Amino acid sequence: MLAFRLAFRNLFRNTRRTVLTSLLISSALIVLILVDGLMLGMKDVMVGGITHTLEGEAQVVRKGFRNNFEVEYTIDDPTEVISQIETSDAVAGFAPRVIVGGMIASSYNTTGGLVYGVDAKQELDVSRISDAIVRGKYLSGEPREILIGEPMADLLEVDLGDRLIITAATVDTNEITQELFRLSGVFEFGPEEMDKNLIFVNLDQAQDVLGMQGNLHQIAMRFVDPEDPKNPELPLFKQLTNDKNEALGWLDLQPSIGALIEMSSYTTAIVGTILFLLTSLGVINSMFMSIYERIYEFGVAKAIGTTPWQIMQLVLFEALLLALFSCVFGLTIGYLLGDYFSVNGIPMGKMEVSGIVIDGNMYTRLALYQFINFPVYVTLLTVAAAIYPAAFASRIVPTEALQRAL
Amino acid sequence: MTNVIETRDLCRTFGSEETEVIALDHVSIDIEEGEFTAIIGPSGSGKTTLLHLIGGLDEPNSGSVMLSGSNIANMNGNQLSDFRRDHIGFIFQAYNLIPVLSAEENIEYIMLLQGVGAAERKKRVREMLAMVELEGLGDRRPAHLSGGQQQRVAVARAMASNPDIILADEPTANLDSKTGISLLDVMRDLNQQRNMTFVFSTHDEKIMERATRLIHLRDGKVELDERK
Repeated sequence: MLAFRLAFRNLFRNTRRTVLTSLLISSALIVLILVDGLMLGMKDVMVGGITHTLEGEAQVVRKGFRNNFEVEYTIDDPTEVISQIETSDAVAGFAPRVIVGGMIASSYNTTGGLVYGVDAKQELDVSRISDAIVRGKYLSGEPREILIGEPMADLLEVDLGDRLIITAATVDTNEITQELFRLSGVFEFGPEEMDKNLIFVNLDQAQDVLGMQGNLHQIAMRFVDPEDPKNPELPLFKQLTNDKNEALGWLDLQPSIGALIEMSSYTTAIVGTILFLLTSLGVINSMFMSIYERIYEFGVAKAIGTTPWQIMQLVLFEALLLALFSCVFGLTIGYLLGDYFSVNGIPMGKMEVSGIVIDGNMYTRLALYQFINFPVYVTLLTVAAAIYPAAFASRIVPTEALQRAL
Repeated sequence: MTNVIETRDLCRTFGSEETEVIALDHVSIDIEEGEFTAIIGPSGSGKTTLLHLIGGLDEPNSGSVMLSGSNIANMNGNQLSDFRRDHIGFIFQAYNLIPVLSAEENIEYIMLLQGVGAAERKKRVREMLAMVELEGLGDRRPAHLSGGQQQRVAVARAMASNPDIILADEPTANLDSKTGISLLDVMRDLNQQRNMTFVFSTHDEKIMERATRLIHLRDGKVELDERK
């Protein structure tokens, strides 16, 4: 207890220095919490951008379909696949689709696009097509409804209610077929690639036009637990994968995003390392100043029988207390700022990362480990930074130190 | 009587070859248990150096120091620290109390190093404060004590570990005459009651008057060794 009192009082001999050093340490902790929170928030946006926009958290497709979207690569036995998905407790929702490349023409212009035949109701559980509508209305299941992106609408010079003709090859006979639609809605997902190229029509009409009744190219899924689709060994994936079909989670569907997320984890580590290095230098400097001011006391302490190790312990104990004070302050401010930015966001402007649009604010996400692991790292590193000054103090020669007292 | 301090041919020089200063030159002395010894001599005669060597705070260039039969040259850093803690009490000219600890805590500190239990520490602190006539001032920090009171705390701290030897480097140099005499009387009483060995380095005639033995140093050599 006396050792604690001694360390505590030593720490507050020079309150200004202690407060400044503590601010340095706590600032490192705050920045670390915010950077990691921002990375988590960015990860959420990236994953959400992939899984919630259109792709779903996982997909079942015919093996080879993803290579070049060949229309004849339809899912083998789709009824059985759907039955298996429906009976799985892990799946929160699924959306059957047909996907075919085609031409779309208005009275004024023509362009190519990827036509998605979708089930309007089931898409609500999987994708954000409905949320992306900026003009008109979402699909209702009525015949001849069609949704296109804003850039495509501009190119085709069409407005709501205007006629559009889709030309595509049928699956069964490979003949060219055409079908008339009326523009019912215009969407804007954000990524230009999607808004310029995607076309949505009702699933049953697409199947009719393409001559593929009952057949599907893709079933997109959403899971109850968002961690499930990251697991390639998920039993449902095993169950749905056979020599013809494959079930893949979003990490396998978009490996570039997986790499990007991994890189964001390194970002926290790199920022943390730089912060800790700078903080360590501050701690070392502060501890040395404190030791130099008390050098004669260490001499006296050694003269009366304090061992070098006990001197070292005292300095390390002071560093530990300094770290603990700093952590309490850093955690409080880190939590308050992190919580504020998780609601109000940090203004980032508009940017597109790997086809995912970050428009406006970036929100932080706080996690329990940030408030357990980071303070532990900060405390350990502060104490580690104090080892050098502590070792210096332990080697003070009493006779030299005592001369300074005179 | 047994010798608690034996030095043999102690030599200590400072500085490099060109600027070498001989602080001690083949000093051999024996000090018996319970002696109240004053090492006297002019400034630069080697008094403080001799005390530092006896206390193991410094190492001689040659020669040896035996304390209570143990050659301190054979001890490593930690052993020497432990030996000082258990067998030697130091009193410094500038008091050198730990400023952030109260008088009680300064006295308690050395017992903490010895691993004495909390209750025993408190009891001994009270005894020590009574012994140096500072009852009621135990909770004051050094800054709130006079020079004489601080030196009394330093004496109590030196005594707290029940050492065999007290080494005091000009303990009254910073005190006025009256306070110095009062402090000396306290130390003389302790010497007589507990048979503790006191070794002072001093210029102070009051100490010389009370000392049972005077060792005169000049230019690092023992010029005269007289027992009263």
